[in-house]
Amino acid sequence: MQIEFQTQRLSMRFFMLMLVLFVLQVGYGLLLSLQQTDPTVLAGVMNFNVARAEHLNLGILWILCGFIGAILFVGPLLAKREMVAPWLIKLLFYAVIVIAVWNFFTLRLAQFGIAGWWQGQPWLQQGLEYLEAGRIAGVLVLIGFAILAYVVLRTFPPVREWNEIHWGLGLGVSALMAVWVFGLFYVARLDLQEYFRWFVVHYWVEGVWEVIHITLVGFLLVLMFKVDVKSVGFAVFWGVMLVWLSGLIGNAHHYFWIGTPEFWQFWGSLFSALEPLPLVFCFWHIYLDAHVNKRPLENAPAFYFILGSVVLEQIGAGILGFTMTFALTNVWSHGTWVTPGHAHLALFGTFGMLGIAAAYYAVPLLRKVPNYDQRLGKLAFWLVLTGVLGMAFSFAIGGTVQIYVYRILGLDWFGGDVARSMGVFKLMLPMFGVVFATGAGVLAYDLLTLGRRVAVPAGTDGHGEAAAVHPGTRWSRPLSGFEAGIWLMMMWIFGTIITLGLLSFNLPRVRVAGDPTLPYLLAGVGYPGLLLVTLLFVWRFLASMEARAKTTVAAPSLLRVLPAQA
Amino acid sequence: MSCGTGGSSCETPRRRGAFVVLAILAVIFVVLSVFSFLKSRNQVTPDTVSFGAYQAADGKRVFQAYNCMGCHTMVGNGAYLGPDLTKEYHRAGPAWLAAFLPSAGGWPTKAAVRAQLLDPNQQADAGTDSIDAYLKKFPGAAERIERRGGGTTMMPNLPLTKDEIGQLIAYLKYTSAMNTEGWPPKVEVDGFDHRVQLAHGMVAAAQAAPAPAAPTAAAPATVDPVAHGAQLVKDNGCVACHATSDKRLVGPGWGGLYNSTVKLADGSTVIADDAYLRESIRQPNAKIVAGYPTGVMPAYDALLKDDEVNAIVAYLHSLEKQ
Repeated sequence: MQIEFQTQRLSMRFFMLMLVLFVLQVGYGLLLSLQQTDPTVLAGVMNFNVARAEHLNLGILWILCGFIGAILFVGPLLAKREMVAPWLIKLLFYAVIVIAVWNFFTLRLAQFGIAGWWQGQPWLQQGLEYLEAGRIAGVLVLIGFAILAYVVLRTFPPVREWNEIHWGLGLGVSALMAVWVFGLFYVARLDLQEYFRWFVVHYWVEGVWEVIHITLVGFLLVLMFKVDVKSVGFAVFWGVMLVWLSGLIGNAHHYFWIGTPEFWQFWGSLFSALEPLPLVFCFWHIYLDAHVNKRPLENAPAFYFILGSVVLEQIGAGILGFTMTFALTNVWSHGTWVTPGHAHLALFGTFGMLGIAAAYYAVPLLRKVPNYDQRLGKLAFWLVLTGVLGMAFSFAIGGTVQIYVYRILGLDWFGGDVARSMGVFKLMLPMFGVVFATGAGVLAYDLLTLGRRVAVPAGTDGHGEAAAVHPGTRWSRPLSGFEAGIWLMMMWIFGTIITLGLLSFNLPRVRVAGDPTLPYLLAGVGYPGLLLVTLLFVWRFLASMEARAKTTVAAPSLLRVLPAQA
Repeated sequence: MSCGTGGSSCETPRRRGAFVVLAILAVIFVVLSVFSFLKSRNQVTPDTVSFGAYQAADGKRVFQAYNCMGCHTMVGNGAYLGPDLTKEYHRAGPAWLAAFLPSAGGWPTKAAVRAQLLDPNQQADAGTDSIDAYLKKFPGAAERIERRGGGTTMMPNLPLTKDEIGQLIAYLKYTSAMNTEGWPPKVEVDGFDHRVQLAHGMVAAAQAAPAPAAPTAAAPATVDPVAHGAQLVKDNGCVACHATSDKRLVGPGWGGLYNSTVKLADGSTVIADDAYLRESIRQPNAKIVAGYPTGVMPAYDALLKDDEVNAIVAYLHSLEKQ
């Protein structure tokens, strides 16, 4: 495939900016993990809350950069013409940089208690989780979203001619802007403030980002495997629809304990338990799309990260989200380290990896090096995957200990009781953080310098030796649908064990007698089991895909398993 | 959603049905949301809660300005470095919070909390002026004083002003009064010592809660006043705010302070002699050093006897500039 439209090249700068912001964000993450083990690190210079605000804000910004890059790359292909108003896109690029730098200076003001109150609004920073940036940055972000929505919608053909991919991206970029508005007002009541804060945070992730994610994954698969757009359209429509059907009221799982009435516990438990459905659907579809025609894997890192995105979505958002979605389990997991385990997998996994995948797909094409050296990209993938799974493990087990000491025993001395009991897991966090950061460094280096390093000689296999067969496991044999189903079932079995572990905190034996054996045992089996199965499954899936590189038979895509109409 | 390619793959009836269901769910969500914030729900609102002259609504702004949520959770949302703050007022009470917040880097001692109870505003809010009655009413404060009093915390000192502290207390009073549907869950394991023991094991429990080094014993008259003063500043929690070097913590450092020239907020200068130091302990707001906020330090006039104040001054005299 070659670049057909000049405006596709605008995506390059967003991918590069994404990498820079990503590396910075990982740096803040490492600092935070050190401060978790020793809170005096940089105390008074860069307090934990400032570093965390930067960590969250950069996380959102680089994921958005990945989205924008991917949308700019596929936009002209979908519209079959150049993007309109490239100057606006260039303006958007500089706006993102200005916002990132502005936030670097304004978020620090939290150490001095300066919010910049004027007209009842905090203009410089507002100290709300995920929405730390002040109103000035908030308005700039809104303008940025408006530019993106305008450019995409103006570039697309008339609505009559839209297929599901157009609809997904069109709705995605519009809703991105619409939902953001709920975060632009100061709310005096705590319960109402949290109610609207989750409008932005939950509906962004579950209602908007997820839509963009499903659509982009679908279209990237169309590009990579030459899959039929119509059948992907089926998956995109029902993926998006299931996301909305479950996620709309699923937001209620944030309304259990914020001061809103008890009835939310019923609605939230019911509907957010359905939230994994679209993720299972999406997971199953990537299996079908990748396996139905036996095309060789041309761009391995790009597919690695797409697979990582869909699998970690299944694990992080789907299964780990499911475990803490019921009022009876959420009452324990809420406000503990158990939740960031889910959040890191879901956010980095689902959305971060998608941006990286899009970059790995687009950058070689933009730099005209289709036969690039793919080894660094694969290495980076395994490093970040292992790193983020390990971090999730540390968070989840550390959080289980935290629930016991803090909530069951009611000891609230973090320095003397809680942190002390969590000590081992607080140390494991920076350890896996270093693995992750190494991977982040490798992939940033690889993508930044791709095509500028020594090129792979023509005719050599850019995959390197990893494409060799796996004689020990025989994992190079094709992955059947049955086997994939078994893997998925194993993940859910471990997910059930984790859920039962959280549920067991309600037992009198734990809650009244103070015996943590059962929850510890179930968490100790469930979390490592789930994360290990995930790692092995990704390994198995990719081994079967890699083996295709050897056989260059490109079968025509007649063998569609999933019909477009049921 | 239209189907550009047309044909049977549109499965239009089924898709239309999905949109109808989605619309019904949206209506349900809106109705539930309206019911959540009706007056009849009787949820407390910040405009109805105050601590003395301080409004909870103002406290919420202070809470956000310092990004407290970046380390703590509030109704369980936020970061997980420090404890959840929702019910902190309920557990520790206003006087403990007032003693803690100005110098968050140190855990308040009993005397530091007692100093706060001299404030009529505190007495009205806590419903008592007796430290013992206070500790009985707020067992969280008693536990903190006994196990942690005088130690250092994980929290950095924040430049909170007197008003901001009062407003924050009002805000925490509001969140404590909120109906959060039973969260955080009630602790049902009996006995504090038992719980500490479950967390750390038998031996650690014995170490974790050592008998407080009986500071109550009145110092014999023969004791060196410098040593007596050193003990007094420890017992009263003075060192939570004041460094023994010339470093600024919350208040001015003590190293080399004695007989030095101090610049005051009103522009005048004064020599830090015995009289000045005694006054600054008894009525700290009479003369404020330039660059420091007023009203943060409580008056120790009614808490310390003459010889105790003199001992502290003698101790300060002994500290050299570092």
